[in-house]
Amino acid sequence: MDEYPEGSLDNSIPFLLTFGTRTTEASDSSSVSALSHALKDEAILIRSELEPLESDQARAVLRYIKDRDASTLPCSARDSVPRRYRFRVRSAERSILLPPRRARLPEGYEPPSPTQPLVLHSPYSPLSPISTLYPDGLIDPNWLRKHQDFIPSVLLCFYSLVADPTLSTLCDNQIKTDINNIRALLSQSGYKTRLAVVLLSEHGSSSHSSSDGVQERVEIIRRGCGLDSKALFLVPAGGSQEELERVAENMLTTLYAVAIDYYRDLGRHSRKKRSRGIAPQPTVPPTSGTSQTLSLAGWNVRYDFKTAVFAEYRLEMDVALRSYELAYENLLSSELMELIPSWSPRWNEGRLLADIIAVRCLRCLLWNGQHSAAARRWQFHRERLADLVDRRARGTSNYSWEAWEARWAVVMADLMDRAGIPELSPPSTRLYLPPEKSAMGERLQPWELLHHKGYWYRLAATHVQARRAFARAIPDDHRRSPGDSPATLVAKSAFAYDTYMCPEPYEEYPLRRPGVDHGRMIIDLLMRARAEFLERNQIRLAAEVALDCARELALAEDWHNVVELLRPLWKDLPFRSEGWTAIAESLTWGLRAAAAQIDDAELVILADWALLSRDFAKRPNWHYDISKSLEDVEVSSKPSVSIRDGQFQSFISASFLFESEEGRAGQSVRSQLSITSNAQPESAPVVLGSVYLSFHGCLDGVILRHQKNEQSAPTRGKTTLATVPLTRQADGDPYPEKSAEDGGGLTLIGSADLTLRPGQTLVFNMEIPLREPGETRADTLTLHVGCDDFDLRETITLQERGSKNSWHISPSRTKLLAHPHPLAVRVLPRPPKMEIRCPVWKEQYYTDEPIELEFDIENGEDVEALAKLDVVLFGEKPPSFTVSVPGQEDHVSSNVRSEETRLFAAPMGTIASSQSLPIRLRLPPIDRPSGYDLTLKVIYFLPTNPGTPISQNAVFQLNVVNPFEANYELLPRLHPDPWPSLFDPDNVVIPPLGGDNENPPNPQGLSQTWCLVTRYASFAAEPLRVTDVDIVIHPSPLASYSFTKRTDLPASGAGRLVPPQTIQEAAFDLVAKKATIDDRSHAPLDVSLILRWARTDAGADKDGQEPPTPEKINTTTLPIPRFSIFGTEPRVLATVSHHHQRHRRGRYHRSQPGSGSDEDYNPNPELEEDSDDGDDDGNAPFVTLTITIENASTHFLTFGLAMEPSELFAFSGPKQTTISLLPVSRRSVRYRLLAVGDGSDGSGGDAGGVGAGKKKDGAKKEDGEDLGGEEEEEEEGIWVRPALVVRDKYFQKVLRVIGASEGVRAGKEGLEVWLPRLG
Amino acid sequence: MATTIPSIACLGVIGRNNNPLHTSIFPSYDPATNSFRPVRTPLQFSLILSSTLDVFELRARQNAAAGVGLTGDFGLLHAVDDRLAAYGFETNTGTRFVVIVDMRGRRVDGAAAAAAAQTGAAEGSSSKRVAHAATGLREGEMRPVFKAMQAAYIQLMQNPFFEPDEHSPPTGQGGKRITSKKFAEEMRRIGEGWTPGVVNL
Repeated sequence: MDEYPEGSLDNSIPFLLTFGTRTTEASDSSSVSALSHALKDEAILIRSELEPLESDQARAVLRYIKDRDASTLPCSARDSVPRRYRFRVRSAERSILLPPRRARLPEGYEPPSPTQPLVLHSPYSPLSPISTLYPDGLIDPNWLRKHQDFIPSVLLCFYSLVADPTLSTLCDNQIKTDINNIRALLSQSGYKTRLAVVLLSEHGSSSHSSSDGVQERVEIIRRGCGLDSKALFLVPAGGSQEELERVAENMLTTLYAVAIDYYRDLGRHSRKKRSRGIAPQPTVPPTSGTSQTLSLAGWNVRYDFKTAVFAEYRLEMDVALRSYELAYENLLSSELMELIPSWSPRWNEGRLLADIIAVRCLRCLLWNGQHSAAARRWQFHRERLADLVDRRARGTSNYSWEAWEARWAVVMADLMDRAGIPELSPPSTRLYLPPEKSAMGERLQPWELLHHKGYWYRLAATHVQARRAFARAIPDDHRRSPGDSPATLVAKSAFAYDTYMCPEPYEEYPLRRPGVDHGRMIIDLLMRARAEFLERNQIRLAAEVALDCARELALAEDWHNVVELLRPLWKDLPFRSEGWTAIAESLTWGLRAAAAQIDDAELVILADWALLSRDFAKRPNWHYDISKSLEDVEVSSKPSVSIRDGQFQSFISASFLFESEEGRAGQSVRSQLSITSNAQPESAPVVLGSVYLSFHGCLDGVILRHQKNEQSAPTRGKTTLATVPLTRQADGDPYPEKSAEDGGGLTLIGSADLTLRPGQTLVFNMEIPLREPGETRADTLTLHVGCDDFDLRETITLQERGSKNSWHISPSRTKLLAHPHPLAVRVLPRPPKMEIRCPVWKEQYYTDEPIELEFDIENGEDVEALAKLDVVLFGEKPPSFTVSVPGQEDHVSSNVRSEETRLFAAPMGTIASSQSLPIRLRLPPIDRPSGYDLTLKVIYFLPTNPGTPISQNAVFQLNVVNPFEANYELLPRLHPDPWPSLFDPDNVVIPPLGGDNENPPNPQGLSQTWCLVTRYASFAAEPLRVTDVDIVIHPSPLASYSFTKRTDLPASGAGRLVPPQTIQEAAFDLVAKKATIDDRSHAPLDVSLILRWARTDAGADKDGQEPPTPEKINTTTLPIPRFSIFGTEPRVLATVSHHHQRHRRGRYHRSQPGSGSDEDYNPNPELEEDSDDGDDDGNAPFVTLTITIENASTHFLTFGLAMEPSELFAFSGPKQTTISLLPVSRRSVRYRLLAVGDGSDGSGGDAGGVGAGKKKDGAKKEDGEDLGGEEEEEEEGIWVRPALVVRDKYFQKVLRVIGASEGVRAGKEGLEVWLPRLG
Repeated sequence: MATTIPSIACLGVIGRNNNPLHTSIFPSYDPATNSFRPVRTPLQFSLILSSTLDVFELRARQNAAAGVGLTGDFGLLHAVDDRLAAYGFETNTGTRFVVIVDMRGRRVDGAAAAAAAQTGAAEGSSSKRVAHAATGLREGEMRPVFKAMQAAYIQLMQNPFFEPDEHSPPTGQGGKRITSKKFAEEMRRIGEGWTPGVVNL
């Protein structure tokens, strides 16, 4: 905006000139000197004869007025403090110069006719020949200054009202004279400047009389000078500051109305002239040039412009805007600018005027808060002018146009600056203003929303850049200054370039000397833009601008500033980490170049290090070798650079893994360090001097030093795997990284080949020893690159990468580590080395067996240990137990709870190192199967660390199972003895009277014989030796019992080895006798089976001929469910006796000689029938079947007995008979049976036929025919089913025939009898 | 007489970690050579996209203070200069879509332009200048673009092989770019298909 003529764009504010006070600044002369030289000679001098005032009062008033100067106030309608007046205040002491009202005639000009006087015009008018506008110019920007700076609207004269009564009249008269004098001079000058007077009273305001006198004097002066009452002000003396301000405020408000009136007059004058509608004639008709005078349209532009300016003085912005727009349209219309040739100086003047009008329009719009309209107006002017210049002048593709564009953008920014838009101030954090209401809803260009100044400056900068590009394209011929080039060339290029407000091409971009410093302009603009962006926290945009700026600075080779500008961006802004690679790249290269120029070695190394990354595009012909980076940099000392983590993204990444999640102190854990390079593929390998891996926990760090390795480690593809042995750091070999404060830590050292090729991954396997419990965590990795020129250290913080923990098994293969925190290893305390063992632990222990367990406590520690033992037996109703420790007394456990028995802290004494202590745990026999958890806990102390108990646990599962299970069968047998007779008086039991109850009398009652068959099986896991099988019959008051046993166990007592899961059998013959015959009720039979057994010792011989020692024999008692015997129901018992001994062998293997005693038994004496049958019938295999019916009741019973004949056997005996039984008696019927027919005949197909034939005989029985078919044939004999029916005659009930001896069995259909085969 | 209308110059997708996910650049009409070519270099577009992040942050703060902006449409972020303007949209997962509109990106000739071009400059000496009636943009005119971009992005997310955490890691640092050809194609379609007034893409 400064490039426009001075004052042309200033705000139009009423001009107030104070007169008659001493001023400190030389404002007098400045205002005068601004008058152009030509006008100065003719300037009108207004002078006061009196001395300028110097009193404090005068100064205070002046200061107050000057402080209210509005020329620097923001030109905006929205003011924070509403003002009643706006003045532009200047002050003069005793003289002012006013520009001449009438221009003089040019020198040597003779008026053509003395009679007709020439009409003289203002020197600023195109009518005056001395004006630069003469004859056809439009408006001189100086005209604006005339009103702005030279001709005040109000001339405020200061006078002092002298208090001294002797001098007062004289002074008052002097004042009067002076005022009148000035008034006369003003009216002579032709200006209508209003005159106002301030009288500074020297009287104190206290005395009333004197104030009356003062009023009188003031009145006299006023009248003497013919001043309006509004133009004379009295400032009382000695008043307070407030009073003074009040007076001054009042005065300025009054004067403002006067000034507005003044400008209204001027505006009215302009409008009047416009409405005349004629173009005035110049003073002297033009004789030179085109002799063209300003057209009416031009005059209209002038009048409209003036009207608008005066309206602006009055702050009537709407009026001003209208008039400006009118002037603008007329100016650019086909009648004015279109007619001016572009080579004419008037063309540029026209353009300037258009610019000025446009700027003033913009200002009016901004004043009214029409921001979008302003932005649109701005664009409109640009497009209008571009169109005009394209059509009428030299086009827009040249440096001049771009210069103008830049200027035009800056103008907008400056206007916004002046307008001071609060909505766009940085605290509002607004980047642009929303459209005002009138523009809302229209299709707006985004740019029409008024953006803040940063954008405008940036826009200007881009245009300056374009201007430079055009300037660079100027051919050399035109760049020569005219003095150096041939005249023809000068002539040719004279009008080829647009030089509107910009230099000629040979100045713009001269050939041999510096011309316009475009770079400087761009940088200035960009820096201003950057400041704006930074103020609004637009850091990225500011960075973008800074980047542009740095480019310009680099062109200007201002390297220091480049570094200063870019370094903070490069270090602080997250372009790289956020992935804006291209930006980071351009930033880094820019910085690198600048740093190399200013020999900032550190920065060069950093930049080179960063640029090695493959993320960046490869720059051709770049060495990409970090060791060469300082080649073109001069360094005074060897630079040492260290890069903190996160400072920038390095091309080297590292990871670290512990293989296992936890380890134990004293052991070591495997770990893997991998370092990956993501360098440019063609870059030189980076040789890491050493790497330092720092830990947190039981170890300080691991150092790997570079060692050139000729035979390379296993390499496959891009991965190199090496195992690095680590040794403890020797003293006096401190690693520089290790800070001194953490002394005592452990640092391990290893060496490996640390040459890192682009894209390569180095993997190192390391065994890291763990010393103390706790957590050990890998923290950071510091890489050190050392070469002759510099040292570089980079610290990388190791990070856990979630699920991507790959452990390199081989260069090509990886596995995933499952644990979530591979950077840390949990170090557990040193493990206990006491061992608890049970050398002979058995899978199963058995009930009823005393259990003795032996344990060995072995001390695996290096030193002796003082140990104690806790034993806990946990289970359902655990037995108490005894623990015996050698050298100590036995300890018995205590029951803590029903499910737990424990022994607490049984002392074990001292166990020497690598010695073992046998302890013995004894449990009593347990009578039921159960499971227990046996926990042994050895707590011991080592003399090396007596305060820390160490404990070792061992848990054993104790299973107690039942070794045997058995089932039982109670078979009835026929008691051989006759029953006692109910009718025998001997049998009557007379209960003994008193006393001898202890010995019950011999039982006199009925007897029964039973056979108890038990089958037992071993359920043990191993063969057991059964030494004895026995039963115990629980005595019953109702009956007495006796038994004999029949087992196949060897009599020696050595027993028999019973393999698991095999069934053994034992039979017992039981005889029960009721106590009295009168008792006919049921009697219970409670029996327990007793098995005596022993474990087979591994050492003992399998045959077990040696009977086991009694201590080793365990007794297992198996209770047998209760049987019930006796009763009153009649029983039919069938017994057989064989006469053919040959058939008996083998088949009844259980029948011992004793059991066969019933063979020849004589039935009851009452059974006289067939009492003696032919036992001696040669060799015929007769079988005698005796049916015995027992009647235990007290009733007389009658039974019918029927025997059906069968073709399978022959029988003798009653086929049908009736048996009557007395109460409590029994009788037998005897049959002799003989198997008939061949065995093979009997079996096979014709059996049915035979049976069918026999059917007729036994027609009464329905199912008789089935019988034959069901017969079963053994090898030696056959089972036949005699169709024997025993029927209770009275109840008509068939009684079941029960087999009561060997050779008789209960079949499916009934009784079956075994008959030996005939022959 | 040819006039110009706005077109899309660049579409950008920026991840939650301020990381660029995708950039598509579209050529604009260049009156000097009467051809189409991008108005800026990729680096410059990258810078423009990056600078929108400032505005996003600024707006997010303003919106949070005012309790507005739930739709995610940020409208005009800023006008980069008198030609380019950036519009923005933010999804509720923090992914941001940026549309950079070239206000003079397409040429309209013939009858369509003639209606608008009633200004006096009809001599035909230059086809370069914009007629004053050059169309602006209404508020919300970018909404179809964002809608289409979001649809394409959602489609991308629905791909079971697309791992969002790779592109915007929860650690808050960087992320990979989107490499899906389909997504790029979709962006291309959106960028080329939009003209002012289009309501559905």
